[in-house]
Amino acid sequence: MNASPYTWFEPFGVTPALIREVLAAATQYGADDADLYFEHTTATSVSLSDRKVNRAYTSVDLGCGVRVVVGDQVGYAYTEDLSRDSLLRAARTAAQIARGGKITAPVDASPARLPDHYPVDRAWHDVDVADRVPLLRAWESRAFDADPRIERVQVYLGDADKHVLIVRADGRMVADYRPMTRAGLSCVALDDGQREGGSYNLAARDGLTYYTAERQERLVDEAVRSAIRALSASPPPAGELPVVMAAGSSGILLHEAIGHGMEADFNRKNISIYADKLGKRIAPTQVSICDDGTLPHARGSLNTDDEGEDVENTVLVEDGVLKSYLHDRISARHYGVNPTGSGRRESFRHPVLPRMRSTYMRSGPHDPQEIIQSVQRGIYCESFSNGQVHIGAGDFAFYVREGYLIEDGKLTRPVKDVNLIGNGPAVLETIEMVGNDMKIDEGGWTCGKDGQSVPVSQGMPTIKVGKLSVGGRS
Amino acid sequence: MSELLDLAHQAVQQALSLGADEAAVTVSAGSHATLTRRDGKVEQATEATTRGLSLSLFVDERSSVHSTSDLRPEALKVFMERAIQATRLLEPDPERRQPERERCGRGASEAELAQNDPDWERVTPEQRAARALALEQAVTAIQDDRVISSSTSYADGSSLDARVLSNGFADEHESSGFSMGAELTLDEGNGKRPEASAWYGARFYRDLPDPDEVAQEVIERAQERIGAAPHKSGRYPMILANRAAGRILGLLGAPLSGSSLYERRSCLDGKLGERIGSEHLTLLDDPTVPRGLGSRPFDGDALIATPRTIIEGGVLKSYYLGVYYARKLEMAPTTGGRSNWVVPAGERSWQDHARELGGEAILVNGFLGGNANPITGDFSFGIRGVLLEDGQPVRSVAEMNVSGNLLQIFHKLVARGDDPWPWSANLVPTLIFDDVDFSGT
Repeated sequence: MNASPYTWFEPFGVTPALIREVLAAATQYGADDADLYFEHTTATSVSLSDRKVNRAYTSVDLGCGVRVVVGDQVGYAYTEDLSRDSLLRAARTAAQIARGGKITAPVDASPARLPDHYPVDRAWHDVDVADRVPLLRAWESRAFDADPRIERVQVYLGDADKHVLIVRADGRMVADYRPMTRAGLSCVALDDGQREGGSYNLAARDGLTYYTAERQERLVDEAVRSAIRALSASPPPAGELPVVMAAGSSGILLHEAIGHGMEADFNRKNISIYADKLGKRIAPTQVSICDDGTLPHARGSLNTDDEGEDVENTVLVEDGVLKSYLHDRISARHYGVNPTGSGRRESFRHPVLPRMRSTYMRSGPHDPQEIIQSVQRGIYCESFSNGQVHIGAGDFAFYVREGYLIEDGKLTRPVKDVNLIGNGPAVLETIEMVGNDMKIDEGGWTCGKDGQSVPVSQGMPTIKVGKLSVGGRS
Repeated sequence: MSELLDLAHQAVQQALSLGADEAAVTVSAGSHATLTRRDGKVEQATEATTRGLSLSLFVDERSSVHSTSDLRPEALKVFMERAIQATRLLEPDPERRQPERERCGRGASEAELAQNDPDWERVTPEQRAARALALEQAVTAIQDDRVISSSTSYADGSSLDARVLSNGFADEHESSGFSMGAELTLDEGNGKRPEASAWYGARFYRDLPDPDEVAQEVIERAQERIGAAPHKSGRYPMILANRAAGRILGLLGAPLSGSSLYERRSCLDGKLGERIGSEHLTLLDDPTVPRGLGSRPFDGDALIATPRTIIEGGVLKSYYLGVYYARKLEMAPTTGGRSNWVVPAGERSWQDHARELGGEAILVNGFLGGNANPITGDFSFGIRGVLLEDGQPVRSVAEMNVSGNLLQIFHKLVARGDDPWPWSANLVPTLIFDDVDFSGT
């Protein structure tokens, strides 16, 4: 790896003198906070369809965002052109709206040392397209060999090298190299005139060595298994039912039912259903929920957040009691607490917002089998595609791609394609059992908020929820 | 010739000289500004001037696409060299080449499309600030003690795209956009804080609604959310509000596409010429709607953009076939992507129809989560809306799902309202369905 990520932007003409000059322009009318966010991202994706590795996409994204903050007012401008003139123009634009505040001139910045939660031995930029092609080929062959009913296979492998340099008017300066990779396989199975699809994907902040034999096999086998099983699946019955969430990607329930509601901007504005719940019991004592930015190589991990703060493992709920919101620097100032390293942005084109990183529930006391056996009639949810929440009303939903009906404590017929809906605080109160099998899902989850997408992870032990409304058929 | 078109020509020439057999380049430039206000102050102001270049290459029967925002000449050359080198490492796919020159061109003139409001260039920062302030004042003038938070937003922008293909096509397209919206949160008194928003977008500033109309709409929507609860599971008529109809109608997009058809991922495969909905279902794709938010002179392949009938009286008339998948499927290309979706308005209001249907019905005016399976057509969506009795509102509903199958739902379309929603590329009236599966309690 590059010995000093601090030198990455030098070839683009970004010198300490220029940084000082731009920050001075940004703070010319005063500020409580101001930062420059330089980003250079190169991405490649290669895909296979129709039995050919026949498509490649590459992109280069380069630019700088300038942010000036006074109280909770934000002036933001960005430029894709890192010339002195363009950067100064962006700084003057951002300075226009936010005037006042105690910073009137930038403090000279010095580089800070960061932990490395995602070391790689070779950046994706140095991996040739020719090294990617055989992987896709091998995954396709394995899928066709796995079952004669597999009719079509599509595969992609996407990766990115993102370099960021964040310099603040208070003298904080951090640089981070953020690798990302994501692979997916989707297939169509045909049996007796009936077609169904299955897919699986894996993602991590890692290099090519992420794709171990076990992961490659899992990628293919899970996609094939899912398509074959869907052939015999049907929509479940409609109405309110007890639900068992499988370990792993069921973390989507936390993400929607509580995670967004803990983002401090919503609470500062008093529009989250959790706005007056800090320090109160919101779930049974066996429930503890974390949002962790430090998990090794996790898709949601960061060495620094996008405003230069250290990243931590934030405990949101401990033994059922609400402990902390997720803060960026604006909300932390508002509440008089330390930031939690949750300030994130999609790219230099976007201002910072408090966001989740890797959200999961800690393991509890129950054996997963015991949890399933406790349900007379309900739904077991295993894989998911998407979810959403209404932050103030607390209603949330997630789409279950695959699962099973539970009858008399046993998994019986497979079910598929069903939306489940509930109210966040009501559902948390009815978490009846928590399994001892917490697992962080390796899927390529992306979270959307205010038009910004950021990579996240999620995890869960097996849990039982008293009831959710299941969008089946009557 | 504009500077952008000139740059696109140069980039095509450069790609050809570096070894590409065919190249297509789009150079885009734009600028936009957004002002969000809350509590009587500007909360966030964002401004930027942007640019970018995208490139499709065809090299030795292999193809790839690339994009960059680093337009420094020396960086662009390295970018292209790497792009061409990467393309050579792929496997041949000879269908992925440019369209025949005669299929490329412009369907309507810039004047006919009316996409660019001359007002945009004249907007001053002071006017922008005044527009945002007027909107906030209208919303904060709302009298309702339950309001705990409101925020308003005004944005405008403009973009210019220049496109050059090595087959000889070269053209450019300019458009402006204005939007404004408001979000409101009420305190229901039991911990719940129901929220509502109302957003409006238009190509011309003067087409946007009056700030008072926006304020009225957002408070009505928020008040409608008070006391929301699920209704019992069952089959009810669904009154699908105009502003929400695009979500269900849009499910047709994936299975109508050439890629889904070719990859055997379409429940509409083999259905061309067949009935897929009731006689009330007619869907047009019209890229020529003046001031339309989805209007365009040419499509993503540079094919001439012309109006098409997708579904007529319930019968499927056309798929979305771009150049590549049309060749793969050995069919004539139509267009690879949708423009404006137009469903003709009915003659009577949805309230008339709901009264006539009688009994309980569910007015759906928003969704929560949900998805669909394009292979089988199965879908399931969370909804929010209003329970109706003989067409009259009874109470707010939430925590409910609507589920069904794409191949069946449109057969249940029994009427169309007279109220097409003008603020999106879905120009669709309220749609009335009978006998739809809802799950609640």
